[in-house]
Amino acid sequence: MKNNILVIGGGPAGLEASAVLSRMGYNVILAEKEKRLGGHLAKWDRLFPDQTPAKEVLDGLLDGIKDVKCFTETDVNSINLLDRSFNAMLSNGITILADAVLLASGFDMFKAEKKEEYGYGIYEGVMTNADMEQAFREGKTFSPAPKAIGFVHCVGSRDEKAGNPACSKVCCATAVKQAIEAKELYPDANVYCFYMDLRMFGRHYEDLYLRAQKSGIRFIRGRVSEVSETAEGRLLIKAEDTLSSRPVKVTLDRLVLMAGMRPSEAGHKVGRQLNLSVEEDGFFSARDGFLSLQKSKLPGLFYAGACTGPKTLPDTLHEARSAAMEIDRYIKENFRK
Amino acid sequence: MIHLLSAAVHQITPEGIIDRYPNSYNHFVLPFVIGITFILIYLLIGLIRILYHLSGEDRIKLLKSLFNPKTAWKNIKDIFCDCLLHTKIWKRKPLLGYMHSAIAFGWFLLIVVGHIEVWLFAPRHLSGLTEGSLYYPIFYRFFIWINPAHETLRGSLFFFIMDFLLLYVLSGIGLAMFKRVRSIALGMRHTTKPSLADRVALYCLWLIFPLRLLAEGFTADLSGGGFLTRPLNWVFRAFFGNELNFLPTWWAYSIVLGLFFAAMPFSRYMHILTEPLLILFRNAGLKVRHPRKGFAEAEIYACSSCGLCLDACPMNVQKKNLKYSSVYFMRFLRRHNNKKTREIADKCLMCGKCYALCPVGVNSPAIRRAIRETRNNKIDCDYSYLDSYAEKCSENPKSTGKILYFAGCMSHLTPRIIKSVETILKASGQDYEFMDRNEGICCGRPLMLAGRTDAARKTIEANSKIIKDSGCTTLLLSCPICLKVFKEEYALKGIQVIHYTQFVDKLIKEGKLKVSKSSSAIVYHDPCELGRGCGIYEEPRNVLKAVAELKKASKERDESICCGYSLGTLTLDEKDKAKIAESSVTSLMAENPEQIVTACPLCYRAIRSKAEVPVKDFAEIVCENLENNDKN
Repeated sequence: MKNNILVIGGGPAGLEASAVLSRMGYNVILAEKEKRLGGHLAKWDRLFPDQTPAKEVLDGLLDGIKDVKCFTETDVNSINLLDRSFNAMLSNGITILADAVLLASGFDMFKAEKKEEYGYGIYEGVMTNADMEQAFREGKTFSPAPKAIGFVHCVGSRDEKAGNPACSKVCCATAVKQAIEAKELYPDANVYCFYMDLRMFGRHYEDLYLRAQKSGIRFIRGRVSEVSETAEGRLLIKAEDTLSSRPVKVTLDRLVLMAGMRPSEAGHKVGRQLNLSVEEDGFFSARDGFLSLQKSKLPGLFYAGACTGPKTLPDTLHEARSAAMEIDRYIKENFRK
Repeated sequence: MIHLLSAAVHQITPEGIIDRYPNSYNHFVLPFVIGITFILIYLLIGLIRILYHLSGEDRIKLLKSLFNPKTAWKNIKDIFCDCLLHTKIWKRKPLLGYMHSAIAFGWFLLIVVGHIEVWLFAPRHLSGLTEGSLYYPIFYRFFIWINPAHETLRGSLFFFIMDFLLLYVLSGIGLAMFKRVRSIALGMRHTTKPSLADRVALYCLWLIFPLRLLAEGFTADLSGGGFLTRPLNWVFRAFFGNELNFLPTWWAYSIVLGLFFAAMPFSRYMHILTEPLLILFRNAGLKVRHPRKGFAEAEIYACSSCGLCLDACPMNVQKKNLKYSSVYFMRFLRRHNNKKTREIADKCLMCGKCYALCPVGVNSPAIRRAIRETRNNKIDCDYSYLDSYAEKCSENPKSTGKILYFAGCMSHLTPRIIKSVETILKASGQDYEFMDRNEGICCGRPLMLAGRTDAARKTIEANSKIIKDSGCTTLLLSCPICLKVFKEEYALKGIQVIHYTQFVDKLIKEGKLKVSKSSSAIVYHDPCELGRGCGIYEEPRNVLKAVAELKKASKERDESICCGYSLGTLTLDEKDKAKIAESSVTSLMAENPEQIVTACPLCYRAIRSKAEVPVKDFAEIVCENLENNDKN
C-alpha cells in the first residue's frame, strides 16, 4: 500500500517536493488555497539573475506533478496528529489520513500600505514589486511614458519599526532586475534605486548590478523618508544620500516599493493547530539550524521553502528536494519494518 | 451619653482642672521633644537650602506671589484641598481618598482641637517653651486631673470631639493596614516597595494612634474622656485594678511619635511637610531649572511615594518596566543615584500621565527633561542653513489674515492626514497657505524632549520668522507634538495657534462645515500631547459625536494610555513599545468599536500597527462624513 503524504502549499516548494515524492512512489495530495498553482512564481514575469521567464520554470515544475492529487482553492480546515498519522480535513470536504505532512506555506508579501509615508494606496504612481511584475507579465505599459522611475529597497525588511528587522534576501536582486527591465522598456526615463546596501550574494548577481550601472541606472545609498504629491500630480521623493551626506529630492512618475517577505498567514493557521513553534521573526523554527533543517519538532511534519524564512527560488527548490528525501527516510523507518 | 448627662447637671460649676504635675513635666515626653526638635531644625535648614538654590528671579516671583491676594487665596485653598482633604484622590478612588484624608485631616484636627482645648482650659501652657508649650498640648490628657464633679458641658464636648477625631484617624489607619495586605480593594493594582526608613516611619504611624487611644484610655478616669476612652478605662480598671499601669503606654506613645519624626526626613512621610511648599512654588509659577536643586528638591521631597503613578505609567504592562515609574525615579533622585536617574529619565515616554494623576502634582517629566538637558551631548550641529531657508520662505507672497497650515514632519509621514486636512480647508472655503508643503523646519518639540533646548531654540526662531513674515492670523496644526511647542515656546503675538480638532469644531459650530452622522461605532484615542499636554479633550469629541457613534475606552481623557511610540523616549526598545501599543489598543477596544480614531500622526501609526479594526485619523473621518454639497 502506498503511504499518503499531504503537501500544504502549491508554490515552488510544494510543487517540487510533490514531484519528487510522487516519483518515489508515494501517494501525494497537494492542497493549495488559491485558484492557480505556483504561488508567487505564477505572478512573476521574469526571474533574476538571468531574466528566465517565470512561466518556463513553473511549467517545468508542473510537468512533475502529473500523478499528484491537486486540490486548488482548498484550505486546510483542521489538522491534528493521531497516533502516528495526521488527520486533515480540507475545505472541499475531503478528509485525509497522511503518514507525513510537508508544510510549504511560503510567505506573504509585506503590506506596503503599512509604510504610509511611501504613499502606497494613496498616490496613484506608487506600486509594489508584485504590481510591477504583473504589469510586465501583462505587457502593460504606462502612458504617458514615465520620465522618472524610482525603486525603494527594503520596504518592510530590515525595519524594526515595521516589525521586521530581518533581510528578505531577494529584493535587492529583484529591484536591480526590475530597474533594468524598466530602463529597457522606457529608455528615456531616469531610473533610481534607493538602497541601504546592495546584497548581491548569489552567482551572477554582481553581473546584474554591473549591467544596471552600465545601463545608466542611478543608485542612491539612503532610505526614502517620505513621498508627497506635487501640484502636477507627480511624486516628490525625499531621501538622504548617505554617500554625499546630503538630503536629496527627486520628482518621479513611478515609485516601486520592494515589499519584503512576511510569514504566511495561512501557514500560521495550520501551525497553530499543530502547536508548531515560530521564532521571533514569525517564521517556523526548524528542529535545528544545520542537520535537521527540514524537520519540525513534530515527528512526521516537515518544512520546505520560505515558511522557515526568506529564501531565493533555487534555495527553495533545494529545500523541497531535501524535504522529500527526509520524508522518504521517515516513512521507511517508521512505517515499513 | 451618661457623662454628657452628668455634665449637663454640673454645667454651672467652675471647671475643676488641676495640673497633676506642678511643673507639667515628666521624663516620658523626652523622645517626642527630641523628635520634634530634630524635625523642626531639619525643616528650617531644608527650607533655607531650597530657597538658596532658587534663582534670584524665582525668589522674587515667590515673594510677590505670597502677597498677591489671588494667589494667596489659591495657596490656602490648594493646601487645604490637596494636603488635608486629598480631593484629587477622592475624585478617582473614593475609598483611598477617605483613607488619606482620615489620616491627614483627622490628625490635623486632633492637633488643632487639642491646642484649642489647652488654650481654653490651660492657656498658661501655651505661653512658652518653659511652660511645655512644645509637648503639653500633645500630652494634655496626661498632665491634668479633672474633678468629675466639676465637669462642664464645654469640657465634655471636647472629650467627645477628640474621641471622635481619634476614631476618624483610626479608621484611616485601619484602611491603611488593610491596603498593605490587599491594595486592589482600595483601587491600586501596584504599590510601592517601601524603603527601610519608610517602613520604620510607617509602623510608627500605624502605632501612634492605637497607642494614643491606650494611653488616654488609661488616664480617662483622671483627665476625663469621651465615648472611646472612657469605656476603655472601665475595662482597664476591671482588669488591672489600679491606675499605676499607665506610664509605660505614655512612654510608648511618646517614643513612636519621636521615632516617627526622626525617621520622617529619610522616609516618604516628608511629603506631609514639603507639599505645602511645593504648592506655594507651583502657584508662584516657578519652573524646574535644575534636576536636583531648588524647585526640583521641593518636588523630590513632596513625592509621597504613594505609587499611584505605578498604575498610571504605560510601561506597567510589563512588570520588569515598573522600575521606570516616577515614584522610583523620585526615590533615586533623592538618593543622588545619578546612574539610575539618568537611565529612567531617558527611558520615559514623557506621556505625562503620572503627572496628571499625581495627587501631589509632582512634575517628574519636567525633571526628566532637565536631566536630559545635562547630558553631555557632543554632537555639534550646524544650523546655519535655517537662516537661508527662512529667507527663502519669506520671499513667498505675503497674505494678510490667512490661515497658515503647518503639517510638521510627522504629518508628512502620514500623507492621508494632510490630504484630509486640505479637503476640509477647501470644503469650508478657507483661504489658506501650506507652510511646509515642500520643505519645512522641525517645530522643535522633539529636540526639547531630548533635552537639546539650544538646538530647539534655533528651529523655533527660524519658524517664528517665517510665520510672522507670512502675515497670517491663524496657525493651523495637525500634529499635537507641534501644537504643544508652538503654544508654550513660540512667542507668536496676535496669531492664534490652533489644532485641527479645535478648528473643525469651530467650523462646524459656525456652520461653515456641514457633516452628517454615520452609524459607525468609533472610539477616540486621546493623544498624550493633545490631551494631557494641551488640555484638549472636548473639541475632538464634539466633532466625533457629530459624525459617528462615539464609544468609550476603558481609560480615556487624562487617563488615556500612551500609544507607546511617543517621541519622548530615548532608549525604550521596539518590543517594549509594541507591548504598550497593544495595551493602549486593548483599552480602546473596551466597548468593541468598529473603528478607532485619533488625532496625532504618531498615535495613528502606532495604533494602526496593532489594532485589528480600521484606524482613522480625525480629519479622515470628518472628510468621510462631509455633506455632499460641501465637498467641492
